[in-house]
Amino acid sequence: MAYLTFETILYAGAIGLIALGSLGLVLSRHLFRLVLALAIAEAGANLLLVLTGYRGGAVAPILGVHQPGTTMVDPIPQVLVLTAIVIGVGVQALAVSVLLKIYRAYGTLDLRVLREHLELDLAKAAGIRAPGSQEAPAGERPLPPPIPAVAKAAKESAP
Amino acid sequence: MTLHQMLLQVPDLALPFAPTQSQIVLAVVLPLLGAFLMQPLARVSRTLALALGPIVLAASAYLLIALSLEYGGAPFVVAIGGYAPPLGVVFYVDRLALLFATAVPLFTLLFWWRAEPDAAGSTDSARRDAVMLLLAAAATGLALSGDLFNIYVFYELTAVASFGLVALRATGAAYIATVRYLLLSALGSVLALVGIAIVYLLTGTLNLAQIAQLAPGTLANPAGLAAFALLLVGFGVKAELFPVNTWVPEVYATAPARISALLAGLISKLAVLVVLRLVVLAFDGTGAQTLLLALGTLGVLTGELAAWRAQDFPRMLAYSSVGQLGVVFIALSLPGYTGVFAALAVALHHVVVKSALFGLATRWNGSLEALAGAARTAPRASILFVLFALSLIGVPPLPGFWAKLLVLVGLAQLGTQAALTALAVILLATAVEANYLFRVAVRLFQRASDGAPAPPRPGRFDVAVASLLGLVLLGATVTIDPLSTWLGGIAAQTTDVDATIATVFPTPIAQTP
Amino acid sequence: MRNIASLLFAAGLGFLLLVIAGQLGFGEPSMLIGGDILSAAPDEVGAANIVTAVLLGYRGIDTLGELSILFAAATAAGLVLAGGRGAAASHLSDAPAGFILRTGADLLFPLLLGVGFYIILHGHLTPGGGFQGGVILAAAFFVLVLARPAGGMSHTAIAVIEGLAGAGFIALGLWSLLADGDFLKPMLGKGVLGELLSAGTLPLLSLAVGLKVGAELAGLMTQLSEQPPPELTGQPLAGQSPEHTAGPETQD
Repeated sequence: MAYLTFETILYAGAIGLIALGSLGLVLSRHLFRLVLALAIAEAGANLLLVLTGYRGGAVAPILGVHQPGTTMVDPIPQVLVLTAIVIGVGVQALAVSVLLKIYRAYGTLDLRVLREHLELDLAKAAGIRAPGSQEAPAGERPLPPPIPAVAKAAKESAP
Repeated sequence: MTLHQMLLQVPDLALPFAPTQSQIVLAVVLPLLGAFLMQPLARVSRTLALALGPIVLAASAYLLIALSLEYGGAPFVVAIGGYAPPLGVVFYVDRLALLFATAVPLFTLLFWWRAEPDAAGSTDSARRDAVMLLLAAAATGLALSGDLFNIYVFYELTAVASFGLVALRATGAAYIATVRYLLLSALGSVLALVGIAIVYLLTGTLNLAQIAQLAPGTLANPAGLAAFALLLVGFGVKAELFPVNTWVPEVYATAPARISALLAGLISKLAVLVVLRLVVLAFDGTGAQTLLLALGTLGVLTGELAAWRAQDFPRMLAYSSVGQLGVVFIALSLPGYTGVFAALAVALHHVVVKSALFGLATRWNGSLEALAGAARTAPRASILFVLFALSLIGVPPLPGFWAKLLVLVGLAQLGTQAALTALAVILLATAVEANYLFRVAVRLFQRASDGAPAPPRPGRFDVAVASLLGLVLLGATVTIDPLSTWLGGIAAQTTDVDATIATVFPTPIAQTP
Repeated sequence: MRNIASLLFAAGLGFLLLVIAGQLGFGEPSMLIGGDILSAAPDEVGAANIVTAVLLGYRGIDTLGELSILFAAATAAGLVLAGGRGAAASHLSDAPAGFILRTGADLLFPLLLGVGFYIILHGHLTPGGGFQGGVILAAAFFVLVLARPAGGMSHTAIAVIEGLAGAGFIALGLWSLLADGDFLKPMLGKGVLGELLSAGTLPLLSLAVGLKVGAELAGLMTQLSEQPPPELTGQPLAGQSPEHTAGPETQD
């Protein structure tokens, strides 16, 4: 395959990392896995960005190392990626700190459970009934009257 | 004596001398300096550290106002570091940039911390002030910058600073909202970075003016449209764009109300400004317009319907904000001058109204039922709420009516099926808005039942801020004609792409290497 | 249903990016400003490492923004980690690590400091620079904290170094604003290409960046190491979230 060059493999790899990271971000339920998926996606984006400066057969943009006149790669994407990596590190450190506080407050890092806790907390703080709350499972409608046969069987089975 | 206090005594910068153009960088740099020095200063003198933030913001506001008065007519370019564009980074300062840049320190001062009624969890005021100053610096930089990656860096700084601020209440719910906001925003940044990579690959430059020059040849293809989609979703997280706006209700409900006011009122408009610059300068094809129209319409629909169903005041405001920003994106999809004019009108109106409403929500942060009879204990706040509600819905002669009318007329003039659908959606949304806002207003003014607990009343300062913004709104109502001429002038200057390119590159530059 | 939608989203994203990649000409960048910078940088900035010339010269304000982002993240993490608690937790109950780690840390610490400063100061000559060297400096302190968890750096020292280094970076830029009319213009002459003292104020800017990054990351590590370990039973700690009571965990 003539077009399966070195560059193509690199680009496919970068794009694959981004897709993998994004997939992890939307699918995962555990908060720490989400942070890891974010790290993978950021790595993929940084790789893609630095590859845009790639020139076949060129050398690093450092003077005095190679013969003057050799083509050098584009230095701009490298600078952009330096900045992007540092930004990513900062965001991940902040995310981990918030994760620590969440675990100490709720004892779990499962996003579905936490979302329910969030709804309950918001409802309790505002003084409204939370959607699907435990106290009024049927909303404001009154519960149906108990079926006599079922109630008698429950009374007889319970000691 | 801190460094910038020493600098203020240097004749170049001392009052009342007017600053030079290149000193506009100080509007970004001084808050950064204040933020860096805040924690060492706090260990030396606490009062000085508490005063440092407002002093720096006041200096920055003075600088920008002085520059607007002196140079406010024609746009000018400041090459950072003296490196001529396109090699170096430039600040492109036109009237739109100055307008938003001046609004940043003023609004940050307006919503600065005083005595802490709602900061139950924050123990470290120096850190909090430092993060607020960073937010202000980044927002100013966003307004002024003329370089794509510089905008990305300032956007990320805005994001990280806001992550720190929304978690201030230190409750578990706040942390969950923060982490979901963080992850969504970070995903957006990844997508934006990919978009920047594609733009750089296609055009070879990061300078917005040069991209504008090269856009017809290099970005008018599917790859360019894909880059625009990625950039739009990336920068749209802060602009509450559909579908990356799921963070909005949780964050605005758990963050301190002043932070919600800043984020919803000011910072989201700066993100819209970034999208506006991209649309005007580089991505003005029909594909981009369709995308903006579609996402804006969906945002309006989901936002207003969710606001209708909301049961507590902060989340109702949050969803309403999503709906209004959807209208802004619909306006941005209109081509040319009409689009920018309409978008600016809606956005500026929203800055004033939403900031004031979230300020009122500092105390009115419970369920809507708890507000029953609040007009007796807080009459001024209730009247202000009705004023802002009327303007949001679009009742003439308030400015909200004119802003929405601009959008509707623009859509009608466009006449395509998609535009007419969007027009119908906006009208439907207006009806829904009227419904839920009047529901709250009626509840405010109804007689409270005897056994019910007393409704909360907004603090004096919040009511004062809301009154100030209400006066601004009424002033705009009275002076709507000169105001619209002024805004039209700004829109015309912004959409003049050739003038932009000519300002940044007085001598034409090579378009191919 | 949600999983299918997410899978479709990721597949669509991957497909979109691959299609774009197929259409663009990779390996042949247009080199519009890249080429101009490669030819102009030695004369305008005087640094042998052109990447550093761009980082601290042409795009100095991006670097300032990046420093601020790291600072914002560290400060926000400090706000979050300290929030909701009264006094800082004591971690003196952590026993120091074993003999090998302690001795190794004592040996590694000066070595890492030396390597870090070397990379910072030679940033304009060889690959490296403020950020890379700063991270190695922070690693030196990480190693110390790993060996003796009770012996983290004092918060005051970290805050002072962090603040003054950042203020130093801005001060260099303001100096050029006052003297030359442009913020962050390299001053002090270009010197001879390839010497340690060349490229004007670039080594000073690298030093400021390196100290700031090192102090920030060391501070983050100290704050994280000061957190008491979370209860492993999964019950929320008292006083953490007063309005929430531990309800029954839903079974998945």
